[in-house]
Amino acid sequence: MRQKNISYAVIGVLLLAGALMPLVLKQYHLYMMTEIVIFSLFAVSYNLLLGYAGLLSFGHALFFGLSGFATALAIIHIPGLTILNTVLIGLVPSIVAGVVIGGLLLRHKGSYFALLTLAFSALFYAIAIKWYAVTGGDNGLNFTRPDLNLGIFTVSMASLAHFYYLVLIVVGAAIVFCWYFTHTAMGKTIVLMRENEERMQFLGYNTNAARLVLFIFTGALAGLAGSFYVLHFEFVSHKAVSLDMTTVVLLMTFVGGTKKFWGPILGVFIYIIFQNYLSEITDHWALFMGIIFILMVLFVPGGLSEFLLKVQRRLFGKQVRNGGEYAVPEEGRS
Amino acid sequence: MHEVAIFFLHGLVYAGLLFLVSAGLTLIFGMMNVLNFAHAAMYMLGAYFSYSVMLHFSGQLWLSILICPLILLVIGALIERFLLRPVHKLGHVHELLMTFGLAYIVTELVQWYWGNYPLAVNVSGFLNSTVRIIGITYPVYRIFIFFCAVFVGVAMALILYKTRLGIIIRATVNDSEMVSSLGINVPLVFTGVFAVGTALSGFAGVIAGPLLSVFPGMANEILIDAFVVIVVGGFGSLGGAVLASLIIGQLQSFGVLLIPQLSMVLVYLLMVSILIVKPSGLFGEEPL
Repeated sequence: MRQKNISYAVIGVLLLAGALMPLVLKQYHLYMMTEIVIFSLFAVSYNLLLGYAGLLSFGHALFFGLSGFATALAIIHIPGLTILNTVLIGLVPSIVAGVVIGGLLLRHKGSYFALLTLAFSALFYAIAIKWYAVTGGDNGLNFTRPDLNLGIFTVSMASLAHFYYLVLIVVGAAIVFCWYFTHTAMGKTIVLMRENEERMQFLGYNTNAARLVLFIFTGALAGLAGSFYVLHFEFVSHKAVSLDMTTVVLLMTFVGGTKKFWGPILGVFIYIIFQNYLSEITDHWALFMGIIFILMVLFVPGGLSEFLLKVQRRLFGKQVRNGGEYAVPEEGRS
Repeated sequence: MHEVAIFFLHGLVYAGLLFLVSAGLTLIFGMMNVLNFAHAAMYMLGAYFSYSVMLHFSGQLWLSILICPLILLVIGALIERFLLRPVHKLGHVHELLMTFGLAYIVTELVQWYWGNYPLAVNVSGFLNSTVRIIGITYPVYRIFIFFCAVFVGVAMALILYKTRLGIIIRATVNDSEMVSSLGINVPLVFTGVFAVGTALSGFAGVIAGPLLSVFPGMANEILIDAFVVIVVGGFGSLGGAVLASLIIGQLQSFGVLLIPQLSMVLVYLLMVSILIVKPSGLFGEEPL
């Protein structure tokens, strides 16, 4: 129980630190910070699939981009919407796609799953490029962020700081909810299914249903992140549904490590800051990211979070019972 | 009528290329259970190597056909031995991530070294002429591509079904642990098949260069189609790869003729409907 309190304290401190950011950071860095928060949700939702359920998806950008397009189209075609309504509208197609695609892919795992999600992602990418009249094809869609209406007063979203606070509250809440989810019976079922699915079936769990729920849930979260991503840049194009976007979230998640809940968030921080730094000194930053990625797969297969834990264990000699090998959320670990 | 015949032949030619790429992919998948994302990157590397070779040796295509697959054979063997094997024990996800990272790096390197714009590869002599068949004038080079694919396909079938080596490979696709316990050096078989698959993909790149021109997006274009081929044909099945390549080649070709906007979507619709009717593909065995 003491450890659980520590987790709550960490979450509280992080949110407080996030809330203080606009006072400390310059406009450019606040812009980056907003991006970091949004991608954190994207990466955390991805890790629920990859780390917790052991499902490698290459179609996560599909939900991200689908919601992004829905949000942008809602803003452009329906006048007078407030910002939260556009986000809600954006969620609808992601949930529908999650139900349909999840239903089709239920029986597949491993490489099959990876391949099939990739194919669905490619299908949506093809539509985004070819359906020029709706998606704007190569040019994408431009728009202005609508304001937030809280009943009695409206908050202008033209200011980056205001938008940042909105992102912090909504997206932050979603991330905390993911953390809570990993501690529920459902979250634990999913981890146990990864370890031994047959046994879970014998114990009477409907593993297909659990996988479907997880797929829809993570899809909706990715969609939420996609909506805010589009609102942040006030622009959406086929890049949001592309394989490149899935690559980005995969790199972030993997760099941070899939075995801890906070791994992907660490990965997002490092990826975005590193990318900003590298792209200033060389045009070929993507190549170096790729090489770092390969080296990590070879030498730090557990990602940075595992590496840090190893260092910590070496320094402080604290024994963890299962060696910190899995993301099994034991009581009180976050 | 003439149009139909031309598009039918176009479809056959594309099916040939697709088969060359997906044959290695499906065997590697059947054996190692690794979805090789770097496979199409090797196709692209083959095309770029061929471009450079032909630039240095004044457009000798046959020289490219000899040299480039050999280079890729070595590259494939090195990748399997030094990059894939160390992560094998970590599980499929890590192997897949490794090939994914490789594909990423190759694409970036290619853009760095050869640039971002399409490069034209020209063939000369007989291959550059046209010939009249079934009442239409058709470029010899496209026919050449098709026969290359047929030749490779027949050779592969003979090796797989008529030799001892073929028996070992097919048995490894089925159950590598069992083969290993019979005293066969399975890691060596893995390396060999990976290297040959890579070389075949590179060969496809070499002969695709003059037809489609050489550009950094060529890998992703064929990768998705090749993945669809192995899904539709069934994972690990060579016969399935042949049939699925033919179907998708025609679908792509006539899709462009009939509904140009949706030609890409058609391929995915085919895949989704196959998945619903028979999730293991046309010739695949039901996954356990």
